[in-house]
Amino acid sequence: MFLIKYIKEVFGAIRSLLVGMRLTGYYFTHHKEIITEQYPDNRDTLKLADRFKGEVVMPHDEKNEHRCTGCTACELACPNGTIKVVTKFDITPEGKKKKAIDKLVYHLELCTMCNLCIVACPSDAIVMAPTFEHSVFDRSALTKILNKPDSKIMEGVE
Amino acid sequence: MWSLTDITGRLDQWLNQTFSSTWVLVIEMLIAGVAVIGLFAALGLVLVLMERRVAAWIQIRLGPNRVGPFGLLQSLADTLKLLVKEGMTPSGADKFLFNFAPYIAMMVAMLLMAPIAFAKNFQLWDLNIGVLYISAISSIMVISILMAGWASNNKYSLMGAMRSGAQIVSYELSAGLSVLTIVVFSGSLNVTDIINSQADGWWIFKGHLPAWISFVIFIIAVTAETNRAPFDLAEAESELTAGFHTEYSGMKFALFFLAEYINVFIVCALGAILFLGGWMPFHIGHWEAFNHVMDYVPSSIWFFGKTFFLIFLIMWFRWTFPRLRIDQLLNLEWKYLLPISMFNILLATAIAILGWHF
Amino acid sequence: MDGSTIIFYLLAALILGSGIGAVSSRQIFRAAIYLLFSLIGIAGLFFWLQYEFIAAVQIVVYVGGIVVMIIFSIFLTQQAGEKLPAQRTDRKLFAALAAFCGLAITLLQVFQFKFIGTTAATVPPTVSNIGNQMLGLAENGYALPFEVVSILLLAAMIGCIVIALKSKPQSI
Repeated sequence: MFLIKYIKEVFGAIRSLLVGMRLTGYYFTHHKEIITEQYPDNRDTLKLADRFKGEVVMPHDEKNEHRCTGCTACELACPNGTIKVVTKFDITPEGKKKKAIDKLVYHLELCTMCNLCIVACPSDAIVMAPTFEHSVFDRSALTKILNKPDSKIMEGVE
Repeated sequence: MWSLTDITGRLDQWLNQTFSSTWVLVIEMLIAGVAVIGLFAALGLVLVLMERRVAAWIQIRLGPNRVGPFGLLQSLADTLKLLVKEGMTPSGADKFLFNFAPYIAMMVAMLLMAPIAFAKNFQLWDLNIGVLYISAISSIMVISILMAGWASNNKYSLMGAMRSGAQIVSYELSAGLSVLTIVVFSGSLNVTDIINSQADGWWIFKGHLPAWISFVIFIIAVTAETNRAPFDLAEAESELTAGFHTEYSGMKFALFFLAEYINVFIVCALGAILFLGGWMPFHIGHWEAFNHVMDYVPSSIWFFGKTFFLIFLIMWFRWTFPRLRIDQLLNLEWKYLLPISMFNILLATAIAILGWHF
Repeated sequence: MDGSTIIFYLLAALILGSGIGAVSSRQIFRAAIYLLFSLIGIAGLFFWLQYEFIAAVQIVVYVGGIVVMIIFSIFLTQQAGEKLPAQRTDRKLFAALAAFCGLAITLLQVFQFKFIGTTAATVPPTVSNIGNQMLGLAENGYALPFEVVSILLLAAMIGCIVIALKSKPQSI
């Protein structure tokens, strides 16, 4: 009984050795599987993964409109005060006052790319962009204003 | 023709005509020493590059490809870096033993080169007990590791040395027993006799079941004896920083590093000699034409081809499996490899007595 | 003085020098290393005599086995890294005297013994000759002592297994 179990263990061990070595042998002989990116050389053709989180951006459409309502949900969600929403009041054509953003200040140097602001945003106004070349010579260049100058809120976004 | 035997023979003849016999001995010893050191340097460069390339390809990476064409000069650049680095000695270390340990590792590696037959009739010392000599001398290797670990005066080094000692002392048993299987088949400890006994077929084909078992055990045991992953508990980067050579830097570290690769080469050469016929060409039964073509390939190419095949096997093995824990490692040896190899040697003896091998 | 003699004296100097180092060193680990070199020197002497098998066995048993075990026990003891206190002078004196007496008795025996040269043909010390002599049943064969020694080793091995198999009392 003991002996049968022992021999089974030995054969199981040899089988698992062979299974492991078959997989690595496959990778060794199939060089098209290589996933290394030779970064500075292939800068033009580099494709990052869709879920790569590089920085927070606010997409604008061709009419220079964004979707941000200035609700400050992102500012509240941010764990380390990266986002600062500066609001102002627009006058609508009906003569009503309406809350809108003046500036959405984003401190890239504080951001940990945790994605909590994106999740918190009720109107999908901000997204994570797959950029990563963030090096600059001055720290102040990392403080960004996400909404473009003279941009407006998109029609129908409340 | 221009075989290695021929060249050495002519050199010997010329030296004997020119100098007296004592000077011939001295000069030949010097030539052998320089040749061994040159081989060491070449092997170090080639094996480090090969290891990095194999590792990269197995892990779906590219490996070194920046220095020189296809990264071929990478290990040369590494060597240059190690040469110009400062060799530190920690203030609490036992200075004499600390500085002496790497040289012992190198000396052992050099001594092990003596009985290896690199080509037909091309051997530094055709010793009566070649195989036993290799396993005897390689047991000194553990002393250099213990010495380095102790003299560093560092807990990681000491733990690495202890682990390595336990590991090498235990795996020497099954390595020795698997070597003994082939010694039983060929009836000699002499390297030349063992190779000549494989003229009509290598032992891995002729010795069927016991030879296969001992080949597998041999590969596992020598991987453990040379302290390579998955048995690299002596250095275990993630646990012991670098184990016994934590405190070493510069050229002293390079000597340990080189000695590891030389040992890999030597155990693979031993494996090639025992199981794959050393420099013996590949022959199939009575296919005279085929055998004749095989004989045209120089014997040194056969030897290095087989050795590098085994080195590749060990590297493949290394980069496939994760590191074992110390209790798993000792269980593997004492509960599995040792009983199996003892049973195997009984089987081999029975087969050798009954003449069942081909 | 030819090369062979020079090598003999070098080996002898290594053996004696490291032997003196082994007994006079005040760090126990260094003493073990000196002992190692002394034993390697003896193996070198066997190589010099062209008794390769005995030399290899000397290295396997003494260097690979006994010295490694000594080093292990040093590692496992406490305060092994500290320098031992210097011995008292009278103890040193008596130790030297005892060593000298031992040497004197040995040398006396060696010089008084009448070595008789054998006329039988010399047997080359190959492994097969040693093996045939060891396991020979004929005259001067050593089959019986060999088997007795193997029974001793077997008993030791079974003892080890019994000790290793002893299950620990369950303590909760």
